[in-house]
Amino acid sequence: MAETELHEYDVLVIGAGGAGLRAAIEARERGLRTAIVCKSLFGKAHTVMAEGGCAASMGNVNENDSWQVHFRDTMRGGKFVNNWRMAELHAKEAPDRVWELETYGALFDRTPDGRISQRNFGGHTYPRLAHVGDRTGLELIRTMQQRIVALQQADHAELGDYEARLRVFAECTVTELLTDDDGAVAGAFGYWRESGRLVRFDAPAVVLATGGIGKSYQVTSNSWEYTGDGHALALRAGATLIDMEFVQFHPTGMVWPPSVKGILVTEGVRGDGGVLKNADGDRFMFGYVPDVFKGQYADTEDEADRWYLDQENNRRTPDLLPRDEVARAINTEVKEGRGSPHGGVYLDIASRMPAEEIKRRLPSMYHQFKELADVDITAEAMEVGPTCHYVMGGIEVDPDTGQSRVPGLFAAGECAGGMHGSNRLGGNSLSDLLVFGRRAGLGAASYVEGLERRPVVRDQDVEAAARMTLAPFDPHPGGTGENPYTLHAELQKAMNDLVGIIRTEAEMTEALERLDALRTRVRDVVVEGNRQYNPGWHLALDLRNMLMVGEAVASSALLRTESRGGHTREDHPGLDPEWRRRMLVTRCAGGPDDDPVVPRVVVEPAGREPMRQDLLALFDLAELEKYHTAAELTAYPEGASA
Amino acid sequence: MTATLEAPETKAGAIPSFEVTLRVRRYNPESEHGEESFWDEYTVTAHGTDRVLDALHKIKWEHDGSLTFRRSCAHGVCGSDAMRINGRNRLACKTLLKDVNPDKPITVEPIKGLPVVKDLVVDMEPFFASYREIMPFLITNGNEPTKERIQSPEDRARFDDTTKCILCAACTSSCPVFWTDGQYFGPAAIVNAHRFIFDSRDEGAQQRLEILNDKEGVWRCRTTFNCTEACPRGIEVTKAIQEVKRAMITRAF
Repeated sequence: MAETELHEYDVLVIGAGGAGLRAAIEARERGLRTAIVCKSLFGKAHTVMAEGGCAASMGNVNENDSWQVHFRDTMRGGKFVNNWRMAELHAKEAPDRVWELETYGALFDRTPDGRISQRNFGGHTYPRLAHVGDRTGLELIRTMQQRIVALQQADHAELGDYEARLRVFAECTVTELLTDDDGAVAGAFGYWRESGRLVRFDAPAVVLATGGIGKSYQVTSNSWEYTGDGHALALRAGATLIDMEFVQFHPTGMVWPPSVKGILVTEGVRGDGGVLKNADGDRFMFGYVPDVFKGQYADTEDEADRWYLDQENNRRTPDLLPRDEVARAINTEVKEGRGSPHGGVYLDIASRMPAEEIKRRLPSMYHQFKELADVDITAEAMEVGPTCHYVMGGIEVDPDTGQSRVPGLFAAGECAGGMHGSNRLGGNSLSDLLVFGRRAGLGAASYVEGLERRPVVRDQDVEAAARMTLAPFDPHPGGTGENPYTLHAELQKAMNDLVGIIRTEAEMTEALERLDALRTRVRDVVVEGNRQYNPGWHLALDLRNMLMVGEAVASSALLRTESRGGHTREDHPGLDPEWRRRMLVTRCAGGPDDDPVVPRVVVEPAGREPMRQDLLALFDLAELEKYHTAAELTAYPEGASA
Repeated sequence: MTATLEAPETKAGAIPSFEVTLRVRRYNPESEHGEESFWDEYTVTAHGTDRVLDALHKIKWEHDGSLTFRRSCAHGVCGSDAMRINGRNRLACKTLLKDVNPDKPITVEPIKGLPVVKDLVVDMEPFFASYREIMPFLITNGNEPTKERIQSPEDRARFDDTTKCILCAACTSSCPVFWTDGQYFGPAAIVNAHRFIFDSRDEGAQQRLEILNDKEGVWRCRTTFNCTEACPRGIEVTKAIQEVKRAMITRAF
């Protein structure tokens, strides 16, 4: 067997984005020996791309805000299939997490009296997003990276070793989780990207914080790390995924030029006054307010424009409907021939405020368009269209601790499921990863402290993981010799064309057939060169994960015969209250004839737990009736109202 | 079916495309070249709007799957793909081919002054070690506030420029002092010290200034402005270094 490096920790965090760093900080502050493993350089994680801000009902800009309002907005945005306990914890704890970040040293834009400023965003009733211009995610990552450096320097002062209690393994990829005889987590297996050396971590608790799956799609705002690693690792270790059919397409990605298609245009453009227009110059969103949101949004352009100045007496613009609604509306405009020359619609901020104001509020957007598209957004409208942005589905976890169905395996951030229901509100991602990153770190620490004995890694699992990791260098004799880049491109095209914003049964059946064909071909992947920093090899291994996740998304989407949030069925266009009660759970099929390279998954329906009464009472009965069956609402508390 | 997948390019006209040649400096100690670096030339078809990163991807996907470089967000936020393009440090994801004269071969090399690991990938550890040395975290005395510290918009604006740093190393690896003396802290570390020295909430300025008063500190800076020119975020790096020097003399910050 190939030589394998061994490390032992109490808590192993996989992923160094916001959720992973926050989990690691928490576990270390509880005194546990903690390791962070990440595919990229430290500090480069996808979180840096978050632009708009971090949602928390601090009430600094509008003091009417409260956790209850944030909770309601989140449930509405997710069309009432969110795990309500997660939504509750998130709304209650987000302000503390933002303030805590400030005490770590994070930079924020400030109100005139020096408190953290908050901006408007889609689906949020009040200005709620703490932000730093349009580089909030970068500041969040940098702040936690700095916190980790501070903790390491404290450890050095106390123990003489910077890495005594917290070590970062950067550019190191985990390919498999390891479990013990009882099925509890015992560690992880991977390789150093730089040297290609194999590495094994023995740890009784693992926190998955690997982010999303966007690199399975052709047009995406996501960075290269987003290959669904955590989702697939969890499945292979025996955990379950939920809600995988819900994929968010951000309404405003760049559509031109082709080299930058999919790159995000922040929702902050609309939050700060930008409006969507079609080729005829119409502000088309006024025609797309769905029944469930009727009465909550402005009917006229005049009212919408007044809302930016006076939010007490006016309703917000429908440009700020939740993302799923806006993405579908843009799709319809383009399909009906009212799109822009490159297949998007226009996003106009140039005619809405002075050039200097735009540059001050949205500097990154100004530079992004100027440099990459040769468009001056202070003088002309941007062309934008939907781009694969976020997966609401993820690892099924206990809301309070973040633990999956596998003992010792925790998950937080985008790779965990449930919090956002069928559609995430902008700004709820950064707050999610702070709230649940901390909770998963705590959960893992408590779990380790409560263990009577440490789990033991099984040698045969380590050998199998090593073989699987090195397989692309040792192809089957007589195999077809597949190129990993070609397979990746075909996978992305299948997901994009057939499991995109608008879905039909026939298309998804075809998608599953194409994924099945790719599954066969991925076994014959060959890579050039040797193990030192070999990108083809890395992709060959990532493909296993992307194929499993693709199958989970397509299979779930095929089963859910309704339209809700980030799942729109052309053949089942309505919202169905019966489906609200059901969630779709993905697990590995297992069995003796399973494919070891890309194990097959099965998707089965399960019930959702009814919302606690005091939370139900936060909504008007009339609103609940739009989403729930009559039978579910017989328990609605008498006399309650929002 | 989703409507916006394929841009109806006929409506907007075809994108002009052209042939472009990239000369890439390669290094792979595991290959037959051993410890010697070598040049490979690739000619690819590119669109008029493509970036250097797109051309590198094309080479990797279609010509040579072993070509190695870092990239992550691919639009200038994460700071992974700083490289030397036609002799100047830039981010490959923010450099359009048409802006670096595609009529002649475009040279692409790893950034200078850091050990090359493979092809365009360098060992960033010495760079991050300098960053860690200036204590890049808020230092305060006294009790933590229950909510946030108050900071006026003016105080916050004072150090806005240096918070834009993405730690890409384009500045540090463009600095002639750093090329000859790897011990020098380099512009990026000083920029990140500046970010805290001029933060009204921070109380660790004295400690940081002492660190940078070291013989490998700010006084090594020869004000060549390479760093300012190299910064893909438009940070006025040299100005920040000058402000740190002045703070050291006047003790005003």
